[in-house]
Amino acid sequence: MLEGIFVDGLIFSIMVIGVLISYRILDFADLTCDGSFATGAAVATMAIVNGTGLATALLLASGAGAIAGVITATIHNRLKVPGLLAGILTMTMLYSINIRILGGRANVPLLRIETLYTRFPEIFSMMSNPWALLVGTLIIVLIVKELIDVFFRTDLGIAIGALGSNEQMIISMGIDPKLLKVIGMALSNGLIALSGGLLAQYQGFADANLGQGMVVQGLAAIMIGEFLFDSNKISLITLRVIFGAIIYKALMFLGRYYGYYINLTPSDLKLLTGILVIISLIVAQTRNAASSADARKKALRRNKERREALDKEAGHVEN
Amino acid sequence: MLKIEQISKVFYPGTVNEKTAIEYIDLTVNDGDFITVVGSNGSGKSTLFNLISGTYPVTGGKITLNGKDVTNTPEYKRAFTIGRIFQDPTKGTAAKMSIEDNMVTALHKGMKGLKITLNASKRGYFKEELKQLSMGLEDRLKDNVGLLSGGQRQALTLLMTVLSRPQMLLLDEHTAALDPRNAQIVMDLTTQFIERYKLTSLMVTHNMQHAIDFGNRLIMMDEGRIILDLTAEEKQSLTVQKLVKMFKSIKNQEYASDEDLLTT
Repeated sequence: MLEGIFVDGLIFSIMVIGVLISYRILDFADLTCDGSFATGAAVATMAIVNGTGLATALLLASGAGAIAGVITATIHNRLKVPGLLAGILTMTMLYSINIRILGGRANVPLLRIETLYTRFPEIFSMMSNPWALLVGTLIIVLIVKELIDVFFRTDLGIAIGALGSNEQMIISMGIDPKLLKVIGMALSNGLIALSGGLLAQYQGFADANLGQGMVVQGLAAIMIGEFLFDSNKISLITLRVIFGAIIYKALMFLGRYYGYYINLTPSDLKLLTGILVIISLIVAQTRNAASSADARKKALRRNKERREALDKEAGHVEN
Repeated sequence: MLKIEQISKVFYPGTVNEKTAIEYIDLTVNDGDFITVVGSNGSGKSTLFNLISGTYPVTGGKITLNGKDVTNTPEYKRAFTIGRIFQDPTKGTAAKMSIEDNMVTALHKGMKGLKITLNASKRGYFKEELKQLSMGLEDRLKDNVGLLSGGQRQALTLLMTVLSRPQMLLLDEHTAALDPRNAQIVMDLTTQFIERYKLTSLMVTHNMQHAIDFGNRLIMMDEGRIILDLTAEEKQSLTVQKLVKMFKSIKNQEYASDEDLLTT
């Protein structure tokens, strides 16, 4: 059971890394995610059902997500609409497309078909079933994390980070910001769809509604992660995202499992997620205010010391 | 180097808010020129810079850079030749990234590849370059730029702009937001870099003394036009008082002609 939370959290963490890229690194409020997560699940499921092999299925899933990201970025770039609107447009269109991918159905099961999660116990046969699933998922997550860490240390990755922080600087350095946005959004939604593809295999079905509310859940996980430690190093940022994702899933598990003591139903979990994000925002705000007040006090003290030093000097000259 | 022919800029054309910011300006900037630009607020100095660097499209006219027509070239492509520094010290650097990440982005103009080029030798090079700012930044390569003071950020921006090797420098009141001491440091660095890298430069300033002391040419703008263009020789005997007097006499002439228009 405990292993289940970790597997769930780890699969979810790949999606959260995708959300991290759009929201935190690119500073692009992207809602495509709600659609592309389900797209990933749908594409992976249909590919597996049609016997393409597991690796191909996952590649196709993240490819489909990347295309969704490119579409959002292109709408934003060409039509000069805010990223939020571009994302909503893609997300809405994806809902119809996802049902098309699933062959006109809203739900396709993956029963009695070989998936990654039936393969893991075979590969790691020395472990018990839940542990095999956990180790398999962990390996995938670590590979993804390492690739992302390396990417954001390359010149291209650093430039994408700089774009999110200051678009003018990127223009001044002779780089087309539109192209960087397309690349960043493709990467973000590729990861989100990959996560969807894994989840479909883990839970054994793909659903057109799978992506609902994913953005907010992702943001909640990112914010939980940000409480853990402060860093500007990409490897630590992705690490805290993974921790945040697991903690979020654990909290939601607690809500689902013990919530009935306080009359919580599973349908209340979205409310809880929203409240969690709001609390995170409030805490972050008070923290910022406290640290800037602290910085102000220090600056005042430094100024005072400097003035006193100057006065002293002036006094010496007069004497 | 840069040739501007009959450019004009009208904001919100055809609406009640229509405003002519630049009125048929001609300007030729020669290689190695260091031109100071003065003028009151709203005289079109910043708009002129925005047109040169391509932030706004021109309403009419032609801009030629190194013999190539760049009138419709996007800003990021013109940036290969033009380095620009803004009044706001936050505009030139990425606050949420470390000094070394900022510098590696600035090292070469143009699209980046999938290579990790930030290594020990690069860091050594960055430290050497940062030392000439004498602000102690060479020991803070991994600090976020957001932690630096305005003066430090502007000095870093200047260094980064120069590292990317532009041929031309547009300085838009780049010391105006700094305290006098930091403004002096940044100004000294500016002249150092301009001399060392033979940069053709235009500098907007509200400091009349700076406008006279620096550069080999001075232009004064008013209401979207260039009303005064002084050569290095003419600048030598110039004082702030004389400059202000010139400005007033030009303005008075205009008022006089306006009155003529009304009375006749």
